[in-house]
Amino acid sequence: MPNGSRCPDCGSSELVEDSHYSQSQLVCSDCGCVVTEGVLTTTFSDEGNLREVTYSRSTGENEQVSRSQQRDLRRVRDLCRILKLPLTFEETAVSYYQKAYQLSGIRAARLQKKEVVVGCCVLITCRQHNWPLTMGAICTLLYADLDVFSSTYMQIVKLLGLDVPSLCLADLVKSYCSSFKLFQASPSMPAKYVEDKDKMLSRTLLLVELANETWLVTGRHPLPIITAATFLAWQSLRPSDRLTCSLARFCKLANVDLPYPAASRLQELLAVLLQMASQLAWLQVLRLDKRSVVKHIGDLLQHRHMLVRMAFQDGTAEVETKQQQPQGRGQQEEVGDSTFDLPKRKRPASPALLLPPCMLKPPKRTHTMPPDSVVTGDEDISDSEIEQYLRTPQEVRDFERAQAASRAAMSVPNPP
Amino acid sequence: MDADSDVALDILITNVVCVFRTRCHLNLRKIALEGANVIYKRDVGKVLMKLRKPRITATIWSSGKIICTGATSEEEAKFGARRLARSLQKLGFQVIFTDFKVVNVLAVCNMPFEIRLPEFTKNNRPHASYEPELHPAVCYRIKSLRATLQIFSTGSITVTGNLDLMHTCSELHHSLLMDAALSCVGSRSSSSGPNVKAVATAVEQIYPFVFESRKEIL
Repeated sequence: MPNGSRCPDCGSSELVEDSHYSQSQLVCSDCGCVVTEGVLTTTFSDEGNLREVTYSRSTGENEQVSRSQQRDLRRVRDLCRILKLPLTFEETAVSYYQKAYQLSGIRAARLQKKEVVVGCCVLITCRQHNWPLTMGAICTLLYADLDVFSSTYMQIVKLLGLDVPSLCLADLVKSYCSSFKLFQASPSMPAKYVEDKDKMLSRTLLLVELANETWLVTGRHPLPIITAATFLAWQSLRPSDRLTCSLARFCKLANVDLPYPAASRLQELLAVLLQMASQLAWLQVLRLDKRSVVKHIGDLLQHRHMLVRMAFQDGTAEVETKQQQPQGRGQQEEVGDSTFDLPKRKRPASPALLLPPCMLKPPKRTHTMPPDSVVTGDEDISDSEIEQYLRTPQEVRDFERAQAASRAAMSVPNPP
Repeated sequence: MDADSDVALDILITNVVCVFRTRCHLNLRKIALEGANVIYKRDVGKVLMKLRKPRITATIWSSGKIICTGATSEEEAKFGARRLARSLQKLGFQVIFTDFKVVNVLAVCNMPFEIRLPEFTKNNRPHASYEPELHPAVCYRIKSLRATLQIFSTGSITVTGNLDLMHTCSELHHSLLMDAALSCVGSRSSSSGPNVKAVATAVEQIYPFVFESRKEIL
């Protein structure tokens, strides 16, 4: 209570402070007279300092995320949960998507490409953590086209400057073999077809390593070769009951898709096994074929390094023998005529199957070597050379007449 | 199988793409009517004209820009372009042959050994990228030469790119590369020219890395 103040109406000294909303007033408690009024105040200090506040700052406009980005971030998390990835994968994929969204090439892309970006971020995360996930699986989940996916994937890896390791084949073998329904008896799976998972997995891994050493994996899709190796491993563990089962039926029983090239990969793998079997003394007398070699896959895999080296050594010796003859012939011709170039060196025919399959069956291509011309680009061009590219006036008139006739024929309606 | 270090590699130029301008507007209907061996793509507004010798396909736009593809050397591309310009002059257009430029070269080279693509990719990151699910070859980029190499497991290498800058701005670099590369392998090109030298330089630059990843079974 301030000292010395009195009410101007009744002279009472009972003055109290009373707040009228945000305004503090000095009021006489006896007669209600308002002695003094206070100043208006606000809780916003900027306004007190007479500074302007912009609309975007007051409303948090810049903090908003666009609808498209919100939806795609949700899709990244949903895709990670569908694939049952660890939580760290999810956070990494989200951060990659946020980085990619800052790029102008990605932000201005179509919706189809933005959906593919979601899959690309998840795939990059799985690759960096050696999680076996193929591009085909991602495209299947997103209903995306592989061509769009591949171009977008290359673009993102390049723009973000990421170093993405290659697909780990052993992890993919383990993951893909686990998806086969071969390890428990069921009404659709006879008991003689059920197999132990660990034995199956180890034999399949050995077969895939053998295929990798013999050029069957390089430059190919991995799933067909894994399917063929799994089928061979499964057959070889109990050949008496399973040799009658075909690859298509095996895939149907195991409830997996049959990749189209898997049959070709199976034949190539069997051919490699036959070539290895010819190096073993106790198998040479048996005259094996592609059906009976399956019974001896265990022996072949046990000694596979030695067998592959022996087969390759034979190839090397023959290649070196054939290689000397063309060189000698070339040297003689070079001595005789110094201006004559060395003959174009062709690859000598190599035996067996330890070359890449695309070299064993090269596409037939008649590539005629053009003669060495002395064209400099600045020769004179005569008029007679140009006349062959122009029509004569008579030909022009005939062409116009033919065009008019064809146009008239098309414009005449058919009689009903 | 070991490769001799002094073996000669054949580099075969399979395609050269060049452009030039006529500096006058071209009436496509007139070209389609009076020119032989022409295809008028009315919906996209261009005319395709094929020359017999040299074997070139030209894309003619009404603005006067012409793209020639299919030549097997730069001299052949220029000769074909000049022949095309002469044909258009005969048709009555005021053609001025300007701005001739080679924009792309495609070359093929075969190594005498197979290449282990996974090892090559691992040793030459980040220039090399190998996606077997997308393409059977390794894509290797040489930024200084603006070249892109497709390296297959058979040893075949395809060189693509706009290789024209090599001749103008990297003479010293080119000389150093030639001196270093000639010590390990000699190369012979089917034709001469600045772009072909750049192609040879690209092949020589990639050869040591490819040689390290060649096929060997121990």
